Amino acid sequence: MEIVIHIVTVLVVLFVVLNIAAGLIWVERRLLALWQDRYGPNRVGPLGLMQVAADTIKLFFKEDWVPPFADKGVFILAPAIVMLTVLMSFTVLPFAPGMQITDLNIGLLFVLAMSSLGVYSVVLGGWSSDNKYSLLGGLRAAAQMLGYEVFMGLALMGVVLMAGSFSLRAIVDAQSKMWFIVPQFVGFVLFLIAGAAEMRRLPFDIPEAESELVAGFHSEYSGMKFGMFFVGEYVGVVLISALISILFLGGWHGPLLPPIVWFLIKMFAFIAFFILLRAGLPRPRFDQLMSWGWKIMLPLALANLLVTGAIVLAVK
Amino acid sequence: MSTAVANTTILSELQDKFGAGSIVPQETRDHIPTFWAPRDQIHDIVRHLKSGVPSPYKMLYDLTAIDERVRTHRDGEPGSDFTLIYHLLSFERNEYIRIKAALKSDDLHVKTITNVWPSANWYEREVWDMFGIVFDGHPHLARILMPRTWVGHPLRKDHPARATEMGPFRLPDQKQDEEQEALRFRPEEWGMKRSSEDTDFIFLNIGPQHPGTHGVLRIVLQLDGEEIVDCVPEIGFHHRGAEKMGERQSWHTYIPYTDRIDYLGGVMNNLAYLTAVEKLAGIEPPPRAQVIRVMLSELFRIISHLVWYGTFAQDVGQLSPVFYTFNDRERAFGIIEAICGARMHPNWFRIGGVAQDLPQGWDSMIRDFIKYLPPRLIEYDKEIMRNRIFKARTQGVGAYSAEECIEWGVTGPNLRACGFEWDFRKKQPYSVYDQFQFDIPTAQHGDCYDRAAVRVEEMRQSLRIIEQCVNNMPAGSYKSLQPLSAPPLKPDNTMHDIETLITHFLGVSWGPVIPPGEALGAIEATKGNNGYYLISDGSTVSYRTRIRTPSFPHMQTLPNLCRGLMVSDLLAILGSIDFVLADIDR
Amino acid sequence: MAWLFYVAGAVAIIATLMMLTRLNAVHALLYLIVSLLAVAIVFFVIGAPFVAALEVIIYAGAIMVLFIFVVMMLNLGRRAIQIESAWLKPGMWVGPVILAAILIAEVAFLVAGPGGPKIGAEVVGPQEVGIQLFGPYLIGVELASFLLLGALVGAYHVGVAKVKEEHGNHSDESRAVAGGDFVRAGTDRPAGSP
Repeated sequence: MEIVIHIVTVLVVLFVVLNIAAGLIWVERRLLALWQDRYGPNRVGPLGLMQVAADTIKLFFKEDWVPPFADKGVFILAPAIVMLTVLMSFTVLPFAPGMQITDLNIGLLFVLAMSSLGVYSVVLGGWSSDNKYSLLGGLRAAAQMLGYEVFMGLALMGVVLMAGSFSLRAIVDAQSKMWFIVPQFVGFVLFLIAGAAEMRRLPFDIPEAESELVAGFHSEYSGMKFGMFFVGEYVGVVLISALISILFLGGWHGPLLPPIVWFLIKMFAFIAFFILLRAGLPRPRFDQLMSWGWKIMLPLALANLLVTGAIVLAVK
Repeated sequence: MSTAVANTTILSELQDKFGAGSIVPQETRDHIPTFWAPRDQIHDIVRHLKSGVPSPYKMLYDLTAIDERVRTHRDGEPGSDFTLIYHLLSFERNEYIRIKAALKSDDLHVKTITNVWPSANWYEREVWDMFGIVFDGHPHLARILMPRTWVGHPLRKDHPARATEMGPFRLPDQKQDEEQEALRFRPEEWGMKRSSEDTDFIFLNIGPQHPGTHGVLRIVLQLDGEEIVDCVPEIGFHHRGAEKMGERQSWHTYIPYTDRIDYLGGVMNNLAYLTAVEKLAGIEPPPRAQVIRVMLSELFRIISHLVWYGTFAQDVGQLSPVFYTFNDRERAFGIIEAICGARMHPNWFRIGGVAQDLPQGWDSMIRDFIKYLPPRLIEYDKEIMRNRIFKARTQGVGAYSAEECIEWGVTGPNLRACGFEWDFRKKQPYSVYDQFQFDIPTAQHGDCYDRAAVRVEEMRQSLRIIEQCVNNMPAGSYKSLQPLSAPPLKPDNTMHDIETLITHFLGVSWGPVIPPGEALGAIEATKGNNGYYLISDGSTVSYRTRIRTPSFPHMQTLPNLCRGLMVSDLLAILGSIDFVLADIDR
Repeated sequence: MAWLFYVAGAVAIIATLMMLTRLNAVHALLYLIVSLLAVAIVFFVIGAPFVAALEVIIYAGAIMVLFIFVVMMLNLGRRAIQIESAWLKPGMWVGPVILAAILIAEVAFLVAGPGGPKIGAEVVGPQEVGIQLFGPYLIGVELASFLLLGALVGAYHVGVAKVKEEHGNHSDESRAVAGGDFVRAGTDRPAGSP
């Protein structure tokens, strides 16, 4: 019986996450349009809501094409990796009390591990396409990942110190009095930036950079394989937004409304914020991102960790 | 221009140095000092003019040729089959000089001047491509605008001008194979090595189809990782033979073609062309026509800069500004449409004036726009120019100095971004620009950011000029009553008097017959100095139409700007130099 | 749960063997990654989840990305693939996929299944690891940090020499002065000034 409940939970989470991600495509296009003085998709269905369905159908019915010069196996594997690693991360997220697939005691590390594996999709996709633009995109992805992954993990260690655990549920519980965004504001900002880089969205869409590399690592992809990259990116947005809510904004904590509603409100606020970032900012060069990551963000993260550690020690 | 004095001083200087017999002056309609020089001395004369004379001619403004073989009016000129024409520009004298060299069909050779001006490289290639004149010692004398497999030299008078004169097109297998083979990329042909001591280079084609090139431009990059070792821009994909068409269209019917040279500049192109035509015809358009021209040209300067602004921001990855600036551009187009009836290519200026008088209510539309745009520009300053990431991407990237600019023939905002205050509207006022108050914005560093800053400020100055136009629009006719203006206005007695009727009929159907002569009309266009050098042989069509466009030399400087930088920087540089492919290829 | 350990161990061994026999460097690296993931599962199963996570993050996630980064930079693609295709054409990609699938199933089972990881010893959490490292094994940590510092200085030295050499090749020094890095660019003059 317990196993059945587990499986149902898994399926429900999978269903909801994928639907939110698909819906996000519509939300993003409409929001961007709003901020850019234009209409956005408004023809298919009421308010253009069916646009996503139409796009999905289109992607499904496109020819499943692998370029003859590509490294076929790796080419097919790459888009699967992105979906897999992002979806795996959702297994440890606590959405509300009782609403969690599993509470791993190294939950946070698990998420970081999955995100560090996720970069393979881009790197391998770029390499296997045997296209120079894709290759440059893959190289940039690897370089970018080296730039931000380090301080991303370190930025979260302050939270771990304060909660005394890697378990995401324990971290949420530790915020019942005060959200970690207050004592860990530096960590919050660092993680917000690293999260944007993790999702490879503007301003950090350097591996993709359509004005420079055409479509970067996925130049050669089409059909549903492209769709996997595409949806994977949006699932990534959901994941990072959910993580920020859990780690810094007290997860489901909040007055009056039911916990899951609070969680969703916080999550969608960050989703909207990331879309706004995309509407507002230009893209740095990747060497700038790297030097920025190593020269500013990393020392900041270390200092934050040091200060947090000292204070935690003193209080205890 | 102080023609008589300049003529004598520079003439005597040259004659002292190279012998009185070899330097022969010629009178021209535009009063630019023009000298014929022997072919063998051209190189030395040009070098002397660049470095030997006081107040030297620092810029190679243009280099082109004429096929003279079917010309009839050549009073007092040395006989030649082909004539090479070097236009030089001295900033200190504020004056052009024109050096001509006569060539015979059986000996089309001349010494290259690429060692005097590196910017002569592309010009000489173009002359070779179009006329088959060989420049001895040129480092890479290959076709530049035409395909490599092209047979013949298009601007020769015996080369067909239209497809119907050439016989049906055939592509047998063998020819297709040859064409395919010609497309193969061999780095050695472009002067690039495949590898160095410790690295193999990547050769990356940016274009001809690429979202960052703003048109059909191909840039071959030699990359070490993502660092640009060398780059070669390949142009010609947008070549439509605009200069050849000029030899077939009447003076009047060529105006629409000029619209499409710098296709973002609209009527600004008409103005450059008509400046030259009116010099030839000796027409002075009435004040109202002049002010209307200035007003619309400045409006198009804003329109062009708005396109550049948004797309430049997009080139460095900012998604939104392009929508804002295009919305603003739509508003400006609304005005253009109300006045001209068309939007991007209004084709609205005429020889001796403009096509129609201004419609009712034009001034309130423009006043609204003048009120509307400045707050938007302030907003864009906040969003783009003061954005830290934008600055990081553009400041210190792709910088050149004023000396380099002059050396390479760079004009317009790109030159002013180096701190060199030179605007042809102020320095050599054409039309009625001398009656307007405006500033010349400059910047100091000459990098991508400064090029942007200059253009942004230029939009404000253009608004100032437009406002003065609206406030001081003179009354009177919109077109000159001069008989050579086209299409001619109907005098009151046209329908009652057979002589006037016939004259009018000929003026409308054949178009004006422009007296023989030659003239250069150069203006400060949206992207830099756009000049039309026209030769009339006393007929209804131009004998030779030379279009000197700013984007051509600007594109030639690209390799200097991007060596040692990243691919991302290349795109920022491309965006910042603001070129239009049609303006490069013509 | 012992069978999980053996399956993961077998996967690790097979993947390592496959890695050794590949001729295409990227394919070999893919197997190496699978092998590292399998080792991580082994760690997890025997009750060291912290080490397992670090294994994935540091080895599979960071170090191997560097390896792939370097391999991608090397221009050995075409020749190596020709050799490889002559040797092993069909079913080349099936191997890592199946092995990874087994691992995924295991992870799913571990994560979703009841109980939790157990094989013999008790679970060693992050806290215990930390206490051990900074207690009895402090000298080891210090030695390792010496070593890493030495490596860092060495890498810096090599990198700087290379950069200097490259700068000799290019006449454009302006960027290094004005716009070379993200931080300094833009601060050398007042905002908004043209």
